[in-house]
Amino acid sequence: MSSGPWDNWDRTLPGSIPLHDVRMPTRAAVLEQTRGPGAPQAHLLGREQVVVGRTEGDIRIASAELSRSHMRIARKGPEYVCIDLDSSNGIYLNGVKIHSAVLREGDHLQLGDVIFVFHAGA
Amino acid sequence: MSLFVKFWGTRGSIPTPGPATSRYGGNTACVEIRTDEALLICDGGTGLRELGQELLQRAGGAPIEGHLLFSHPHWDHIQGFPFFTPAYQPANTFTIYGFKAGDQRIFQLLSGQMRSDYFPVDFSELSATIRAAELPEGRGQIRDVAVRALPQLHPGGSWAFAFESQGRKVVYATDHELDLLLPDRDASLRDPHAPRQLPDELVEFVRGADLLVADGQYTDDEYRRKIGWGHPRATTCVDLAIAAGVKQLAITHHDPMQTDTDVERKIYACRARAVLRASDLVVFAAREGVELKLA
Repeated sequence: MSSGPWDNWDRTLPGSIPLHDVRMPTRAAVLEQTRGPGAPQAHLLGREQVVVGRTEGDIRIASAELSRSHMRIARKGPEYVCIDLDSSNGIYLNGVKIHSAVLREGDHLQLGDVIFVFHAGA
Repeated sequence: MSLFVKFWGTRGSIPTPGPATSRYGGNTACVEIRTDEALLICDGGTGLRELGQELLQRAGGAPIEGHLLFSHPHWDHIQGFPFFTPAYQPANTFTIYGFKAGDQRIFQLLSGQMRSDYFPVDFSELSATIRAAELPEGRGQIRDVAVRALPQLHPGGSWAFAFESQGRKVVYATDHELDLLLPDRDASLRDPHAPRQLPDELVEFVRGADLLVADGQYTDDEYRRKIGWGHPRATTCVDLAIAAGVKQLAITHHDPMQTDTDVERKIYACRARAVLRASDLVVFAAREGVELKLA
Protein backbone atom coordinates (compact mmCIF):
# COMPACT_ATOMS: atom_id res chain seq x y z
CA MET A 1 0.00 0.00 0.00
CA SER A 2 1.24 3.45 -0.82
CA SER A 3 1.44 5.99 1.92
CA GLY A 4 0.33 9.55 1.40
CA PRO A 5 -1.62 12.34 3.03
CA TRP A 6 -5.02 10.73 2.26
CA ASP A 7 -4.15 7.48 4.01
CA ASN A 8 -4.89 9.24 7.27
CA TRP A 9 -8.05 10.97 6.10
CA ASP A 10 -10.23 9.31 8.78
CA ARG A 11 -8.09 10.63 11.64
CA THR A 12 -7.93 14.15 12.99
CA LEU A 13 -4.50 15.52 12.34
CA PRO A 14 -2.99 18.42 14.23
CA GLY A 15 -2.71 21.50 12.10
CA SER A 16 -2.59 25.25 12.17
CA ILE A 17 -5.33 26.29 9.77
CA PRO A 18 -6.47 29.84 10.56
CA LEU A 19 -10.23 30.13 11.11
CA HIS A 20 -12.39 32.98 9.95
CA ASP A 21 -13.79 35.24 12.63
CA VAL A 22 -17.47 34.28 12.88
CA ARG A 23 -18.46 36.55 15.77
CA MET A 24 -21.64 38.60 15.46
CA PRO A 25 -21.22 42.07 13.97
CA THR A 26 -20.39 44.63 16.59
CA ARG A 27 -20.73 47.94 14.74
CA ALA A 28 -24.24 49.19 15.41
CA ALA A 29 -26.53 50.51 12.71
CA VAL A 30 -27.03 54.23 12.21
CA LEU A 31 -30.03 56.41 11.42
CA GLU A 32 -28.71 59.30 9.38
CA GLN A 33 -31.11 62.22 9.67
CA THR A 34 -31.02 64.18 6.42
CA ARG A 35 -34.06 66.46 6.89
CA GLY A 36 -36.05 68.01 9.68
CA PRO A 37 -35.03 69.94 12.80
CA GLY A 38 -31.45 69.21 13.78
CA ALA A 39 -30.43 67.68 10.44
CA PRO A 40 -27.93 66.63 9.40
CA GLN A 41 -26.98 64.34 12.22
CA ALA A 42 -26.36 60.66 12.84
CA HIS A 43 -28.13 58.62 15.52
CA LEU A 44 -26.45 55.43 16.63
CA LEU A 45 -28.82 52.48 17.10
CA GLY A 46 -26.77 51.07 19.93
CA ARG A 47 -29.53 49.58 22.08
CA GLU A 48 -31.87 46.66 21.57
CA GLN A 49 -34.74 49.14 21.14
CA VAL A 50 -34.67 52.81 20.22
CA VAL A 51 -37.75 55.05 20.21
CA VAL A 52 -37.99 58.14 18.02
CA GLY A 53 -40.44 60.84 19.07
CA ARG A 54 -41.13 64.52 19.51
CA THR A 55 -41.03 64.59 23.30
CA GLU A 56 -40.47 60.97 24.32
CA GLY A 57 -37.93 58.28 23.53
CA ASP A 58 -34.24 57.98 22.87
CA ILE A 59 -34.10 60.17 19.77
CA ARG A 60 -36.12 63.37 20.30
CA ILE A 61 -36.68 65.69 17.38
CA ALA A 62 -38.60 68.92 17.88
CA SER A 63 -40.85 68.64 14.85
CA ALA A 64 -44.58 69.36 15.07
CA GLU A 65 -45.10 66.61 12.47
CA LEU A 66 -43.76 63.91 14.77
CA SER A 67 -45.96 62.27 17.38
CA ARG A 68 -44.76 62.33 20.95
CA SER A 69 -43.66 58.73 20.55
CA HIS A 70 -43.59 57.97 16.82
CA MET A 71 -41.46 54.98 15.84
CA ARG A 72 -39.60 52.16 17.54
CA ILE A 73 -36.61 50.44 16.00
CA ALA A 74 -35.88 47.05 17.52
CA ARG A 75 -32.88 44.84 16.89
CA LYS A 76 -33.85 41.25 16.09
CA GLY A 77 -30.69 39.20 15.75
CA PRO A 78 -28.70 40.76 12.94
CA GLU A 79 -31.67 42.77 11.64
CA TYR A 80 -33.42 45.97 12.62
CA VAL A 81 -37.21 46.31 12.49
CA CYS A 82 -39.07 49.62 12.54
CA ILE A 83 -42.61 49.80 13.94
CA ASP A 84 -45.12 52.64 13.84
CA LEU A 85 -46.30 53.52 17.36
CA ASP A 86 -49.77 54.64 16.22
CA SER A 87 -48.36 57.95 15.10
CA SER A 88 -50.51 60.60 13.45
CA ASN A 89 -48.43 60.99 10.29
CA GLY A 90 -47.15 57.44 9.98
CA ILE A 91 -43.92 56.06 8.55
CA TYR A 92 -43.13 56.09 4.84
CA LEU A 93 -40.54 53.54 3.77
CA ASN A 94 -39.07 54.59 0.44
CA GLY A 95 -42.31 56.46 -0.24
CA VAL A 96 -44.79 53.77 0.84
CA LYS A 97 -46.75 54.03 4.09
CA ILE A 98 -45.98 51.01 6.24
CA HIS A 99 -46.78 49.71 9.70
CA SER A 100 -43.53 47.80 10.22
CA ALA A 101 -40.58 46.65 8.18
CA VAL A 102 -37.26 44.88 8.36
CA LEU A 103 -34.81 47.61 7.39
CA ARG A 104 -32.21 47.32 4.65
CA GLU A 105 -29.12 49.36 3.86
CA GLY A 106 -30.03 52.69 2.31
CA ASP A 107 -33.73 52.64 3.20
CA HIS A 108 -35.36 56.05 3.46
CA LEU A 109 -37.75 56.55 6.37
CA GLN A 110 -39.96 59.62 6.35
CA LEU A 111 -41.77 60.69 9.52
CA GLY A 112 -43.60 63.91 8.76
CA ASP A 113 -40.93 66.42 7.71
CA VAL A 114 -38.13 64.29 9.16
CA ILE A 115 -36.19 61.97 6.86
CA PHE A 116 -33.73 59.30 7.91
CA VAL A 117 -31.48 57.05 5.87
CA PHE A 118 -30.81 53.68 7.48
CA HIS A 119 -27.30 52.30 7.46
CA ALA A 120 -26.89 48.70 8.56
CA GLY A 121 -24.10 47.82 10.99
CA ALA A 122 -21.20 45.61 10.18
CA MET B 1 -60.15 48.01 14.13
CA SER B 2 -57.44 47.41 11.60
CA LEU B 3 -56.47 45.17 8.75
CA PHE B 4 -52.82 44.21 8.48
CA VAL B 5 -51.06 42.75 5.44
CA LYS B 6 -47.55 41.36 5.81
CA PHE B 7 -45.29 39.94 3.13
CA TRP B 8 -43.40 36.78 4.09
CA GLY B 9 -42.47 35.50 0.64
CA THR B 10 -42.43 37.55 -2.55
CA ARG B 11 -40.35 35.44 -4.94
CA GLY B 12 -41.83 33.33 -7.70
CA SER B 13 -40.99 29.84 -8.88
CA ILE B 14 -38.05 28.95 -6.59
CA PRO B 15 -36.37 30.35 -3.49
CA THR B 16 -33.48 32.70 -4.29
CA PRO B 17 -31.31 33.29 -1.23
CA GLY B 18 -28.20 35.43 -1.57
CA PRO B 19 -26.93 38.98 -1.59
CA ALA B 20 -28.45 39.86 -4.98
CA THR B 21 -31.98 39.36 -3.64
CA SER B 22 -31.60 40.34 0.02
CA ARG B 23 -33.63 43.57 -0.22
CA TYR B 24 -36.86 42.12 -1.63
CA GLY B 25 -36.24 38.61 -0.35
CA GLY B 26 -35.77 35.12 -1.69
CA ASN B 27 -38.64 33.23 -0.05
CA THR B 28 -41.52 32.07 -2.20
CA ALA B 29 -45.16 33.12 -1.96
CA CYS B 30 -46.70 33.77 1.44
CA VAL B 31 -48.79 36.74 2.57
CA GLU B 32 -50.41 37.19 5.98
CA ILE B 33 -53.70 39.07 6.32
CA ARG B 34 -54.79 39.79 9.86
CA THR B 35 -57.88 41.41 11.32
CA ASP B 36 -59.17 41.74 14.88
CA GLU B 37 -60.71 38.26 14.62
CA ALA B 38 -59.02 36.37 11.82
CA LEU B 39 -55.60 35.20 10.72
CA LEU B 40 -55.58 34.39 7.02
CA ILE B 41 -52.56 33.03 5.20
CA CYS B 42 -52.40 33.28 1.44
CA ASP B 43 -50.14 30.57 0.04
CA GLY B 44 -47.58 28.46 1.84
CA GLY B 45 -44.35 29.01 -0.04
CA THR B 46 -41.08 29.03 1.86
CA GLY B 47 -42.03 32.32 3.52
CA LEU B 48 -44.51 30.33 5.61
CA ARG B 49 -41.69 28.96 7.75
CA GLU B 50 -40.74 32.35 9.15
CA LEU B 51 -44.38 33.35 9.56
CA GLY B 52 -44.79 30.23 11.71
CA GLN B 53 -41.95 31.31 13.95
CA GLU B 54 -43.43 34.76 14.41
CA LEU B 55 -46.91 33.37 15.11
CA LEU B 56 -45.48 31.28 17.94
CA GLN B 57 -43.71 34.30 19.35
CA ARG B 58 -46.81 36.47 19.14
CA ALA B 59 -49.04 33.79 20.69
CA GLY B 60 -46.76 33.26 23.67
CA GLY B 61 -48.14 29.78 24.25
CA ALA B 62 -51.81 30.60 23.53
CA PRO B 63 -53.61 28.52 20.88
CA ILE B 64 -53.33 29.74 17.29
CA GLU B 65 -56.24 29.61 14.86
CA GLY B 66 -55.42 30.21 11.21
CA HIS B 67 -57.08 29.94 7.81
CA LEU B 68 -54.98 28.94 4.82
CA LEU B 69 -55.98 29.78 1.27
CA PHE B 70 -53.78 28.45 -1.50
CA SER B 71 -53.89 30.06 -4.93
CA HIS B 72 -52.80 26.71 -6.38
CA PRO B 73 -50.54 23.81 -5.45
CA HIS B 74 -47.40 24.53 -7.47
CA TRP B 75 -44.22 24.01 -5.44
CA ASP B 76 -43.49 27.65 -4.78
CA HIS B 77 -46.88 27.97 -3.08
CA ILE B 78 -46.88 24.90 -0.84
CA GLN B 79 -43.25 24.14 -0.10
CA GLY B 80 -43.18 25.91 3.27
CA PHE B 81 -46.04 23.95 4.80
CA PRO B 82 -43.98 20.99 6.14
CA PHE B 83 -41.81 23.56 7.98
CA PHE B 84 -44.75 25.46 9.51
CA THR B 85 -44.01 24.78 13.17
CA PRO B 86 -47.45 25.79 14.55
CA ALA B 87 -48.90 22.81 12.66
CA TYR B 88 -46.91 20.52 14.97
CA GLN B 89 -48.53 21.81 18.17
CA PRO B 90 -51.75 20.22 19.42
CA ALA B 91 -53.46 23.36 20.72
CA ASN B 92 -53.53 24.99 17.28
CA THR B 93 -56.21 24.79 14.60
CA PHE B 94 -55.78 25.41 10.89
CA THR B 95 -58.39 25.30 8.17
CA ILE B 96 -57.44 24.75 4.54
CA TYR B 97 -59.99 25.88 1.98
CA GLY B 98 -61.21 24.62 -1.35
CA PHE B 99 -63.32 26.79 -3.59
CA LYS B 100 -65.74 24.39 -5.22
CA ALA B 101 -68.16 21.93 -3.66
CA GLY B 102 -66.23 18.81 -2.69
CA ASP B 103 -62.88 20.38 -3.58
CA GLN B 104 -60.23 18.93 -1.27
CA ARG B 105 -57.46 18.85 -3.88
CA ILE B 106 -55.18 21.29 -2.07
CA PHE B 107 -55.64 19.48 1.23
CA GLN B 108 -54.75 16.18 -0.43
CA LEU B 109 -51.70 17.59 -2.22
CA LEU B 110 -50.41 19.20 0.97
CA SER B 111 -50.59 15.90 2.75
CA GLY B 112 -49.16 14.16 -0.33
CA GLN B 113 -45.99 16.28 -0.30
CA MET B 114 -45.34 14.94 3.21
CA ARG B 115 -45.24 11.30 2.13
CA SER B 116 -42.04 9.61 3.25
CA ASP B 117 -40.64 9.74 -0.31
CA TYR B 118 -40.52 13.52 -0.05
CA PHE B 119 -40.33 14.40 3.63
CA PRO B 120 -39.40 12.58 6.86
CA VAL B 121 -42.51 13.53 8.83
CA ASP B 122 -45.90 12.24 7.70
CA PHE B 123 -48.89 14.58 7.52
CA SER B 124 -50.71 12.39 10.04
CA GLU B 125 -48.04 13.24 12.60
CA LEU B 126 -48.95 16.92 12.59
CA SER B 127 -50.52 17.32 15.99
CA ALA B 128 -52.47 20.52 15.36
CA THR B 129 -56.09 20.17 14.27
CA ILE B 130 -55.95 20.57 10.49
CA ARG B 131 -59.21 20.42 8.64
CA ALA B 132 -60.42 20.89 5.10
CA ALA B 133 -63.26 23.30 4.42
CA GLU B 134 -64.99 24.76 1.38
CA LEU B 135 -66.08 28.17 0.27
CA PRO B 136 -68.79 26.90 -2.08
CA GLU B 137 -69.38 29.07 -5.15
CA GLY B 138 -66.07 30.75 -4.28
CA ARG B 139 -67.44 32.94 -1.53
CA GLY B 140 -67.99 32.85 2.19
CA GLN B 141 -67.25 34.39 5.55
CA ILE B 142 -64.19 33.65 7.68
CA ARG B 143 -64.69 35.33 11.06
CA ASP B 144 -64.96 39.05 10.32
CA VAL B 145 -63.69 38.74 6.75
CA ALA B 146 -65.86 38.30 3.64
CA VAL B 147 -63.93 36.18 1.15
CA ARG B 148 -64.44 35.70 -2.57
CA ALA B 149 -62.41 33.58 -4.98
CA LEU B 150 -62.04 33.98 -8.73
CA PRO B 151 -60.47 31.46 -11.13
CA GLN B 152 -57.39 32.71 -12.96
CA LEU B 153 -55.44 31.84 -16.10
CA HIS B 154 -52.42 29.73 -15.14
CA PRO B 155 -51.21 26.26 -16.17
CA GLY B 156 -53.26 23.91 -13.98
CA GLY B 157 -55.45 26.79 -12.80
CA SER B 158 -55.19 29.16 -9.86
CA TRP B 159 -57.41 31.38 -7.72
CA ALA B 160 -57.44 35.05 -6.81
CA PHE B 161 -58.89 36.09 -3.46
CA ALA B 162 -60.71 39.24 -2.40
CA PHE B 163 -60.94 39.97 1.32
CA GLU B 164 -63.25 42.62 2.76
CA SER B 165 -63.38 43.56 6.40
CA GLN B 166 -64.08 46.69 8.39
CA GLY B 167 -64.65 48.69 5.23
CA ARG B 168 -61.29 47.73 3.73
CA LYS B 169 -60.56 45.51 0.75
CA VAL B 170 -57.45 43.53 -0.16
CA VAL B 171 -57.09 41.43 -3.29
CA TYR B 172 -54.41 38.76 -3.60
CA ALA B 173 -54.02 37.70 -7.23
CA THR B 174 -50.90 35.78 -8.05
CA ASP B 175 -50.02 33.39 -10.85
CA HIS B 176 -52.34 34.90 -13.40
CA GLU B 177 -51.28 35.53 -16.99
CA LEU B 178 -53.31 38.68 -17.48
CA ASP B 179 -51.80 39.33 -20.89
CA LEU B 180 -53.49 36.30 -22.41
CA LEU B 181 -56.84 37.88 -21.50
CA LEU B 182 -56.22 41.01 -23.54
CA PRO B 183 -58.59 41.23 -26.53
CA ASP B 184 -55.75 42.27 -28.85
CA ARG B 185 -52.68 40.74 -27.29
CA ASP B 186 -50.50 40.97 -30.39
CA ALA B 187 -51.17 44.69 -30.73
CA SER B 188 -50.27 45.24 -27.10
CA LEU B 189 -46.98 43.42 -27.65
CA ARG B 190 -46.22 45.52 -30.72
CA ASP B 191 -47.07 48.74 -28.91
CA PRO B 192 -46.42 48.27 -25.19
CA HIS B 193 -47.57 51.84 -24.48
CA ALA B 194 -51.10 51.15 -25.73
CA PRO B 195 -53.76 50.78 -23.02
CA ARG B 196 -54.54 47.18 -22.07
CA GLN B 197 -58.16 46.29 -21.47
CA LEU B 198 -58.85 43.54 -18.93
CA PRO B 199 -62.13 41.56 -18.73
CA ASP B 200 -64.99 43.23 -16.85
CA GLU B 201 -65.39 40.31 -14.46
CA LEU B 202 -61.80 40.64 -13.29
CA VAL B 203 -61.96 44.43 -13.03
CA GLU B 204 -65.14 44.20 -10.92
CA PHE B 205 -63.55 41.57 -8.69
CA VAL B 206 -60.67 43.94 -7.96
CA ARG B 207 -62.82 47.11 -7.95
CA GLY B 208 -62.08 49.58 -5.17
CA ALA B 209 -59.36 47.57 -3.45
CA ASP B 210 -57.28 49.48 -0.94
CA LEU B 211 -54.47 47.10 -1.84
CA LEU B 212 -53.98 44.78 -4.80
CA VAL B 213 -51.19 42.25 -4.34
CA ALA B 214 -50.60 41.06 -7.88
CA ASP B 215 -48.25 38.73 -9.71
CA GLY B 216 -46.01 40.96 -11.82
CA GLN B 217 -43.26 38.49 -12.51
CA TYR B 218 -41.98 39.82 -15.81
CA THR B 219 -40.72 43.01 -17.34
CA ASP B 220 -42.10 43.81 -20.79
CA ASP B 221 -38.94 42.41 -22.41
CA GLU B 222 -38.89 39.22 -20.34
CA TYR B 223 -42.52 38.46 -21.13
CA ARG B 224 -41.85 38.18 -24.87
CA ARG B 225 -39.81 35.03 -24.10
CA LYS B 226 -42.23 33.66 -21.48
CA ILE B 227 -45.63 33.81 -23.14
CA GLY B 228 -47.81 30.97 -21.89
CA TRP B 229 -45.77 30.42 -18.71
CA GLY B 230 -48.63 31.64 -16.55
CA HIS B 231 -47.40 35.07 -15.43
CA PRO B 232 -48.02 38.58 -16.72
CA ARG B 233 -46.08 41.70 -17.48
CA ALA B 234 -45.94 43.77 -14.30
CA THR B 235 -47.06 46.75 -16.35
CA THR B 236 -50.32 44.97 -17.23
CA CYS B 237 -51.13 44.88 -13.50
CA VAL B 238 -50.92 48.67 -13.54
CA ASP B 239 -53.65 48.85 -16.16
CA LEU B 240 -55.81 46.46 -14.15
CA ALA B 241 -55.31 48.46 -10.97
CA ILE B 242 -56.12 51.76 -12.65
CA ALA B 243 -59.23 50.35 -14.35
CA ALA B 244 -60.45 49.01 -11.00
CA GLY B 245 -59.75 52.18 -9.00
CA VAL B 246 -57.20 50.48 -6.75
CA LYS B 247 -55.33 52.70 -4.28
CA GLN B 248 -52.10 50.72 -3.88
CA LEU B 249 -50.57 48.02 -6.06
CA ALA B 250 -47.94 45.68 -4.61
CA ILE B 251 -46.12 43.77 -7.35
CA THR B 252 -45.10 40.33 -6.13
CA HIS B 253 -43.92 36.91 -7.39
CA HIS B 254 -40.64 38.41 -8.58
CA ASP B 255 -38.85 36.32 -11.16
CA PRO B 256 -36.02 34.25 -9.65
CA MET B 257 -33.59 35.70 -12.22
CA GLN B 258 -34.31 39.26 -11.09
CA THR B 259 -31.83 40.90 -8.71
CA ASP B 260 -32.95 43.64 -6.35
CA THR B 261 -31.87 46.20 -8.96
CA ASP B 262 -33.91 44.41 -11.62
CA VAL B 263 -36.98 44.45 -9.37
CA GLU B 264 -36.54 48.18 -8.85
CA ARG B 265 -36.26 48.78 -12.60
CA LYS B 266 -39.47 46.78 -13.07
CA ILE B 267 -41.24 48.94 -10.49
CA TYR B 268 -39.97 52.17 -12.08
CA ALA B 269 -41.49 51.01 -15.37
CA CYS B 270 -44.80 50.39 -13.58
CA ARG B 271 -44.72 53.83 -11.96
CA ALA B 272 -43.93 55.43 -15.30
CA ARG B 273 -46.93 53.67 -16.81
CA ALA B 274 -49.19 54.93 -14.02
CA VAL B 275 -47.93 58.49 -14.61
CA LEU B 276 -48.53 58.07 -18.33
CA ARG B 277 -52.13 57.16 -17.48
CA ALA B 278 -52.37 60.27 -15.25
CA SER B 279 -53.09 58.02 -12.29
CA ASP B 280 -52.05 58.60 -8.68
CA LEU B 281 -51.87 54.83 -8.12
CA VAL B 282 -49.17 53.91 -5.59
CA VAL B 283 -47.02 51.08 -6.99
CA PHE B 284 -44.33 49.29 -5.04
CA ALA B 285 -42.49 46.00 -4.95
CA ALA B 286 -43.73 43.54 -2.34
CA ARG B 287 -40.80 42.99 -0.01
CA GLU B 288 -40.27 40.40 2.69
CA GLY B 289 -40.73 41.72 6.20
CA VAL B 290 -42.86 44.73 5.23
CA GLU B 291 -46.23 45.10 6.91
CA LEU B 292 -48.99 47.50 5.91
CA LYS B 293 -51.87 48.65 8.09
CA LEU B 294 -55.04 49.45 6.21
CA ALA B 295 -56.76 51.44 8.94
